[in-house]
Amino acid sequence: MGGYGDVKLLRDDGLRLDGRKVDEMREVKVEAGILPAADGSAWVKHGLNVAVCAVYGPMEAHPRKIQRQDRAVIDVRYNMAPFSTSDRIRPGYNRRSREISKVTAEALESVVLVERYPRSKIRVEIEILAAEAGTRCVGITAAAVALADAGIPMRDLIVGVASGKIEDTVVLDLDKAEDNYGQADLPMGILPTTGEIAFLQMDGDLSVEEYNTCMEYNLKAAREIHELMVDALKRRYNEKNGGEA
Amino acid sequence: MVELVPSLLRQELAALAANDERIDGRGRWDSRDIKLETNCLYNAEGSAKVTWGDTIIYAGVKFEIRTPWPDRPAQGSLMCGAELRPVAGRKYEPGPPSPQSIELGRVVDRGIRESGCIDMDSLCIIPGEKVLGVMIDIHVLSDKGNIFDACALGAIAALRTAIVPAERFDIGEDYPLAVSMTPTMCSFTRVGGRFVLDANDEEELGGDERIHITLGDEGHLHSLQKGLKGTFTPAEFDEILGIAQQRCAELANLVNSKEA
Repeated sequence: MGGYGDVKLLRDDGLRLDGRKVDEMREVKVEAGILPAADGSAWVKHGLNVAVCAVYGPMEAHPRKIQRQDRAVIDVRYNMAPFSTSDRIRPGYNRRSREISKVTAEALESVVLVERYPRSKIRVEIEILAAEAGTRCVGITAAAVALADAGIPMRDLIVGVASGKIEDTVVLDLDKAEDNYGQADLPMGILPTTGEIAFLQMDGDLSVEEYNTCMEYNLKAAREIHELMVDALKRRYNEKNGGEA
Repeated sequence: MVELVPSLLRQELAALAANDERIDGRGRWDSRDIKLETNCLYNAEGSAKVTWGDTIIYAGVKFEIRTPWPDRPAQGSLMCGAELRPVAGRKYEPGPPSPQSIELGRVVDRGIRESGCIDMDSLCIIPGEKVLGVMIDIHVLSDKGNIFDACALGAIAALRTAIVPAERFDIGEDYPLAVSMTPTMCSFTRVGGRFVLDANDEEELGGDERIHITLGDEGHLHSLQKGLKGTFTPAEFDEILGIAQQRCAELANLVNSKEA
């Protein structure tokens, strides 16, 4: 967290700079099946963030040393396009994207029924086209929809959400200014049906009470986004069947 | 991954070619439908999305302030790069930039650079100290054939709608980048023994060499490239150049229709 204490992030009327209430998330839009070359794909716009995800597979796992005899491996690549941020990013992998790719893969491995596809690989390609705080969560949401669109069985549709703290107040879904100048950020990947957590990171400073409020906000947001994900998949399914079902 | 190619596909393409037909029913010089959207990426200073049949690419323009090259103290710079990341298709693998993606970026780069559509002198802020660097990044999201033409179209469309973020750089008010021309690319692939326009992924898989032609205003040639194994005759080139003249003019009109 940047932690510049003198930047004002809450207005006098208690609303945030962009007019949201503390427990209000940015607008989310979801589309499934947008990339013809992929086996499954999704587009998610969350506030000003845009993530696209393509899923390929299950396919033969290679090199062979990555194969697992009893399950599929999930190969995630999270990547920010060079033009996705206000200063251009040099193309290629960096430490941040490698770490996010790793923990995202582990989150997805906990929801995908990987034991159905021994010795195979499922490729999940997350591309961030516009970044404005919270891209790892948007990537997880997009990955879940793309996996479902590819017909890969999962225990639940995992949803990426985040809460945090600005000016000693817990808020849902930090935007860029809040992320830069806030006090804490708690991104999670939540299984909305059971409330389990498959992805967790945090940085900053939170009391236990504040953590509990974050958790409550995240669960609520995950259920809202989950409905949008299901709607997108239903639209896609109807389209594939040539009309309304 | 090893592409399991398809002698059967080659046979089928040759049989279709003998009847002057194509695998998706198009005529020899027909293109797939093209949809061009501009200003579609929030953080890019100029952007375009091209949906070319089932091929999808994004292009984004960013600017930077840099010190000029010592031999050109009063000129800015232009760079165009393409990424063929594994998102684009099953055949693409992670890793350092592949020769294919470098060729793609460089062929598109040459067409734009050599057309002279950007006046490099106009990118100078303080001679010898500060110049603008223009960077076009192309991101291929779905490769279903002919990414070259889609990338070239996206790159010039993103450039033509770019706004220089002068305020952010403390060098005055934001202004549109001056782009004086609309170079566009037209690619031909040998399929079943004869060249066709705008090959799809199956035609590329079962086809042979390709030729990329970038033409600027008034039909001048700015970049040529022959890729993959094979040879062609001067007569064949004359024929496709004639088609490219018509086709590039249509593509340039499409780009120009998007300007604000």
